[in-house]
Amino acid sequence: MSTVLRQHAEQLFAQELEELQKNDSNKKPANWKLSPQSVVMYLTGGKLNNGFEVSPKYIGNKRLMEIAVATLTTDRALLLYGLPGTAKSWVSEHLAAAISGDSTMIVQGTAGTGEEAIRYGWNYARLLAEGPSEKALVETPVMRAMKDGKIARIEELTRIGADVQDTLITILSEKTLPVPELNTEVQAVRGFNVIATANNRDKGVNELSSALKRRFNTVILPVPDSMEEEIDIVRRRVESFEKVMELPAEPPALQEIKRIVTIFRELRNGASLDGKTKIKSPSGTLSTAEAISVVNNGMAMAAYFGDGQLKANDLAAGILGAVVKDPVQDKIVWKEYLETVVKPREEWKDIYRACRDLD
Amino acid sequence: MPVNILGIRHHGPGSAKNVKAFLEQTRPDMVLVEGPPEADEILQWANHKALKPPVAILCYQPDNPKHSSFYPFAEFSPEWQAILYARKNKIPVRFMDLPACHQFAIEEEKRKEAEEAAAKAAGADDHTGAKEILNNGRSPNSDIQSNGASPMQLGKHSRRWLHNNDAGDAAIEEDAEVSLYTDPISHLAKAAGYADGEKWWEHMFEHRMNDEAVFEAVMESMKTLREAFPRKDDRMERLREAHMRKTIRQAEKEMFRNIAVVCGAWHAPALADMPKAKEDNDLLKGLPKVKVECTWIPWTYRRLSFYSGYGAGIASPGWYRHIWKYPEDDGTRWMAKVARLFRENNMDTSVAHVVEAVRLAESLAALRALPKAGLEELNEAVLSVLCNGENILMSLVHDRLIVSNAIGEVPADIPRPPLQLDIDKLQKKLRLPASADWKDYTLDLRKDTDLQRSVLLHRLQLLQIQWGNKQDIGGKGTFKELWRLQWNPEFSIDIIDKGNWGNTVEEAASKFIIDQAGNATGLRHVCELLEQTLSAKLPRAVDVLIQQVNNLSAATGDVIQLMEVIPSLVSVSRYGNVRKTDAALVAGILESMISRICVSLPAACTSVNEDAAAQLLELFYKMNDAVNVLQIQDILAEWQQTLHAISGNAQAAPVLAGYATRLLSDYKILEGDALLRAFYFAMSPAVSPAVAASWLEGFLKGSGTLLLVDNDLWAVINNWVQHLDDENFMHVLPLLRRTFSNFTAAERRKIGEKAKGGGVLVSRKETTAFDEKRAAQSIPVIMELFGYGRANI
Repeated sequence: MSTVLRQHAEQLFAQELEELQKNDSNKKPANWKLSPQSVVMYLTGGKLNNGFEVSPKYIGNKRLMEIAVATLTTDRALLLYGLPGTAKSWVSEHLAAAISGDSTMIVQGTAGTGEEAIRYGWNYARLLAEGPSEKALVETPVMRAMKDGKIARIEELTRIGADVQDTLITILSEKTLPVPELNTEVQAVRGFNVIATANNRDKGVNELSSALKRRFNTVILPVPDSMEEEIDIVRRRVESFEKVMELPAEPPALQEIKRIVTIFRELRNGASLDGKTKIKSPSGTLSTAEAISVVNNGMAMAAYFGDGQLKANDLAAGILGAVVKDPVQDKIVWKEYLETVVKPREEWKDIYRACRDLD
Repeated sequence: MPVNILGIRHHGPGSAKNVKAFLEQTRPDMVLVEGPPEADEILQWANHKALKPPVAILCYQPDNPKHSSFYPFAEFSPEWQAILYARKNKIPVRFMDLPACHQFAIEEEKRKEAEEAAAKAAGADDHTGAKEILNNGRSPNSDIQSNGASPMQLGKHSRRWLHNNDAGDAAIEEDAEVSLYTDPISHLAKAAGYADGEKWWEHMFEHRMNDEAVFEAVMESMKTLREAFPRKDDRMERLREAHMRKTIRQAEKEMFRNIAVVCGAWHAPALADMPKAKEDNDLLKGLPKVKVECTWIPWTYRRLSFYSGYGAGIASPGWYRHIWKYPEDDGTRWMAKVARLFRENNMDTSVAHVVEAVRLAESLAALRALPKAGLEELNEAVLSVLCNGENILMSLVHDRLIVSNAIGEVPADIPRPPLQLDIDKLQKKLRLPASADWKDYTLDLRKDTDLQRSVLLHRLQLLQIQWGNKQDIGGKGTFKELWRLQWNPEFSIDIIDKGNWGNTVEEAASKFIIDQAGNATGLRHVCELLEQTLSAKLPRAVDVLIQQVNNLSAATGDVIQLMEVIPSLVSVSRYGNVRKTDAALVAGILESMISRICVSLPAACTSVNEDAAAQLLELFYKMNDAVNVLQIQDILAEWQQTLHAISGNAQAAPVLAGYATRLLSDYKILEGDALLRAFYFAMSPAVSPAVAASWLEGFLKGSGTLLLVDNDLWAVINNWVQHLDDENFMHVLPLLRRTFSNFTAAERRKIGEKAKGGGVLVSRKETTAFDEKRAAQSIPVIMELFGYGRANI
């Protein structure tokens, strides 16, 4: 197991799920591994009756998680909506892991996702040899989830073409998947539901049809409210990566994380933290997820090329890469930010110098 | 002789239900309610058919109506239910709070002390400033707010539980510290595992369906709180509680056997635990006193809510009314209301949506271990199911349902100040009902009713009763007006206040303006008054104002002041005929004023510094427009002569001389050779470059098009620039740049192209004209799209 690059949520947090299950005294919906209360607890963290500490997976408004879980207890599907990097997929994975104990029923939505990726496909060799039969049918994750009464996840729903999206309507409203070729159908077992994610920043998304929209309850995941919240998110995620990636560097100093988060927040909000200076925003989104990856990147740099201590030099390249997405426009934005905001900050001299050296 | 003390939360529907049930069960023979005893008399109206809550009792000092307080009641206020019960069962009901006459007087003393203290302490300005911001709803009545909000709010809002249950400034001063101060209710809430004291109270006492012993529980918990967190010694609170006890004793003395006392929860223990009568009497002895009158006024839910600047209140009156009316509703009826609202606003909302939203709200309630979905769960369900997660639509729900725009009614036969009666009459006659929601009226002044409406609104504006708000309107006609009307309960105060001036709107406005005119010293101020007054059709006031304008303009030696008021006066005389006001009067004074200006302007243009010249230039510009609008030959001729004098005067500020020359050329008085001569003269090499450039700035003010079209002129300027030597060119360059930067981008580009092309205009001028009026029409739609439509305007 330990050789796997990244473990599924249900494997990584197997112990937490087990403890939650043991301590669960509330009513569970059919085919759910945990009660809704425990699912919320799994996501937002807390202490169990037996003193076991559940780590928070989603840091932010607990009410949003409650809405998400409550939605899944009804027969409406859940649509997680938000900017890239606001932990949509992360939440979706953990929800599936906590509810079904299985976060692998996943369809990645792309512009090329066809109906056969959502409903079912055919094994053509078999189809030609034997004609239409159960055996020639290739199940999709959605179909499997229906059969097993589990949560199916659809990533980037709005990237999928509108005609393909609409194949979900029958699945979500009638909870059945007809297979006309075999004159049969797959009826969803209790516990089946769909969590879709979509992002509202990208251009060229396919807006959901109102018929489909009606089948989803929407929860918008916001960017973190406060500086402290964001720092907390970055620190926790980085520490968990450290475990996964076995990075030998020292745990990152809170100071460094704070600076990164500050830079990202300022650029994202278009104003310095004290609100005094206006700043141009770059074209990218600069989500919390990117802050996390910058810190990780920096730690890897520190571990393999530096002295194991996370320093400004190790972070500079990562920041630059995250901020400058458009080589012309963003570069100007970044330079301006560097000169007008970073430079005057006395204690930020190292970052300023490190970033200047990269130019 | 049982005395039952019912500790309640003001405007709490659960408390109201409990009070009602309790009264019906115990059948008391006397009800005492927290409120000003002065209002006892007007309680007889409480069950009048035409009195529809939300209403408020208004207490005011007749000799100074700005000192006043409001005691609002909604249908779901426990006090209201207690009063109704008493009226219906024909048992006596009394208010028992410290009489407003003492409260006002004590506050007055306090205010004076504070003022003295402030006067002593240097730099205290910002402190009092901050105080005002904190407690006012509307700036002119800041002290009303501080008094008004307070008496009824105790227990209404936990954050203010301790601090605002008494009147006045002391509480407000503490306001800044409130957040630091520990809120005692939240201690109980925390003990019960709630994050928020407010919510705990709701779940504990407001939302429960059975009401056994709830008042005992309230009493018990408040007692503990008062012991654990004794509040700072506050004279007003001690006085109030002493008076409440005194009233209870009095009732007992009168041999009432079963007395029900309805008061804010915080006071309950103080009333249960009676000290010796003498102590209270001593405390209440020799209090200062002022005269106070009371009346009923209509109130609005918006005023009851937090968001109106009213010190404290309830966040969701609309929702409270809903649960008061439909205590059994599981959210279905509420959700149906939301759906209806969305449909009214053209948003598709199906029954299936409602079903899903109710289900989600129920699941959420179950998840949170609540017996029933509350407003928060319902809101979250609406957000997630009906609004696709977008917050924008929620503001609509908030404004229309959660707060709601209900406005109360009071019977016509309640004694009221005469000015109020006159306004009521006019509102009825002109079909302009007072409503809590704003509504736009487009008035066509050619129609008689609309004209009268406009006159009324203008008069009220003169009286500083800002019911109507005049909006900009597109179109060229001067006969249309757009008004946005929104009634605010506090206008009642303004009306009482202005009632001193007269018993009808017309009389009051007229006298008020005449008084203002007498006190005014600035010509400008009087002219503005005149402009407003003309629209309000007050001939006597107009006469006085015109007299005043004449006097002041004769006395002033300042041309600038005169020039400033000309444009507004011109617009007055232009509007005259539509409004049927006597504009001829204005035309008369205009003529004399312009003559005065023409006489002294040439002199005023000499030896002024650059800044003053720039200021004069702007006035010049407006003045010229005004003269053109007026279209009176004599005045025009006089004006042109003045321009001549200025343009030919070598001592005049060059920029003004330049502009005068240009205006003359616009009037076609200076043309062709004469114009060229004037230009050459001003630009001749003997003139220092700085002066020449400044002249040019005036000459080209406002339009580069002249340069593009008139090739002679072009050649002149072009030659002049070409013949400047390097040093002089460097000298004038900044000045030239200043001139040219005032042109539109298109003009500058064309001029550049023309210069490049050797003086030949390459292509026709593009129009970059941007029709602001048409653009402005789209703004309401865009605001609506962004969800600001109804809420914030």
